[in-house]
Amino acid sequence: MEKKVPITRLGKFFGGEDFTLDIDMGEEWLEGDMNFTFVLYKVDKYKTKTDDVYGEALSGGIQYLPPIELKGMVQIVAPTNQRLGNSKIEQSEPGNLKVSIYQRTLDDLQTDINFGDYIGYYETESRVRYYSVSDDGRVNSDNKHTYGGYKPFYRTIIATPVTSNEFNGV
Amino acid sequence: MGFPKQVKKQIQLVPPKTLSARREQLLEYINKDGTYLPKSVLHADLDKGMLEFVKEELRTVVSGKVVPTVDILITTQNWSQFTETWNFVDLDKNVSPPFITTVRNPEVKYGSNPSLLYTIPNRKQYYYATVPTWDGQRKGLDIYTIPQPVPVDITYSVKFVCNRMRELNELNKNVLQKFSSRQAYTFIKGQYVPIILQNISDESVVDLDKRKYYIQSYEFLMMGYLIDEEEFEVKPAISRTVQLLEAKTSRGGRKKSYPKNPSLFPLTFNFSAGTTAYTENYKYTADLSFEGMENISSWDVYINDDFYGSDLTEIQLTSGNNLTLNITPTDPSSDSQIVYIARLI
Repeated sequence: MEKKVPITRLGKFFGGEDFTLDIDMGEEWLEGDMNFTFVLYKVDKYKTKTDDVYGEALSGGIQYLPPIELKGMVQIVAPTNQRLGNSKIEQSEPGNLKVSIYQRTLDDLQTDINFGDYIGYYETESRVRYYSVSDDGRVNSDNKHTYGGYKPFYRTIIATPVTSNEFNGV
Repeated sequence: MGFPKQVKKQIQLVPPKTLSARREQLLEYINKDGTYLPKSVLHADLDKGMLEFVKEELRTVVSGKVVPTVDILITTQNWSQFTETWNFVDLDKNVSPPFITTVRNPEVKYGSNPSLLYTIPNRKQYYYATVPTWDGQRKGLDIYTIPQPVPVDITYSVKFVCNRMRELNELNKNVLQKFSSRQAYTFIKGQYVPIILQNISDESVVDLDKRKYYIQSYEFLMMGYLIDEEEFEVKPAISRTVQLLEAKTSRGGRKKSYPKNPSLFPLTFNFSAGTTAYTENYKYTADLSFEGMENISSWDVYINDDFYGSDLTEIQLTSGNNLTLNITPTDPSSDSQIVYIARLI
């Protein structure tokens, strides 16, 4: 049986009920008012056919589990105008996606966001951009993510844009 | 055991030309579809030749598709990039990997091609061809001359942008096979121009918080040369000649022969038996050196009747002098002789 230890930090003015209440209100604000929606594509590591040596999937070869629609606080970093290495090919490199999501949301959906998963974010009704998770925020022990040191309650996910020949969603 | 995949569907019935026939063939390539002169090969032609080399000779196929190449050299005008990449861009209009692009170093250096390096100074014109002409009345010839081409070295970087290691391997294999003999050739206006693989480097972006992709850079050196048709010269050759022959009708006399005129010659004074004196006026200036004598015990020398000395081995004569020799013979009944060597002054 899993051993559990009660958390009594900040007990004089804050407790489990307050913690749950604040998360409830936060979710109401995030999912009711803000309603940022993104789609998580978890890579099916069994069905995806990969290269024997390099472990790379071919173009369009990535298989994924049923997509999951998630709510979170989405921020997209500004694009940068840059060149591809020392080539003279110029491009506007899209910025990273930064998502803050309640851990309870993931727990309720019995899912997780892992390094290498893909995230689709609809910028318009017909235009979706895909990102690859480069930081899944699984280590959320810092004060910011633990409500001033009480308990971890949200994660910050950072994902970098991918090209269509790596992942192109549905 | 591997099975040979390279199936030749056509057999070459005509054997390839070799030696002088091959050289003739190469010359025909240069003159093809033009005048008797070679066509200009300038910077733009060399660049185009490099782009074609990358497109054709380094053609890379990944997952059954040919990796697209950017068919122009990207320069300072931004709009031109889109004209060559519009068919393989993503939703942001960024060029989508995999693709190959060629970057030319803007500076073009004096060439290091050993066959052209500083061999002929002053842009001297050399004979290239003799071309017959016809002006409606008479036949003629034009002489075509060209100067030695100017060698140039152009450095290109061929960049392969992709996001799979297998794709990198494919192009790398193509490049190394093509340059296994150090150099390969591109065909520019009928002329083979050598290209050397100089370096392979990696510029991949693998930062954690950035989009990851591979960029592999292949640095090539094209050892080209510039042929500028503005420097060609066409001169009319001789179309008519007049030959004149002059003959002498009178018979010429025999050439008069003259004796040798040496500056050093022997001077022999002969005395018959009973004669002891000899006098002569000389019309030249000379130094006399004693050489030998016969039947003489001693002799006295007088110049202009003044006693000059006895038994002298050196006598200096001036033009107009009267030289007198008085001898004392050993045997008065025999002839005597004294010999000096005269050296004209």
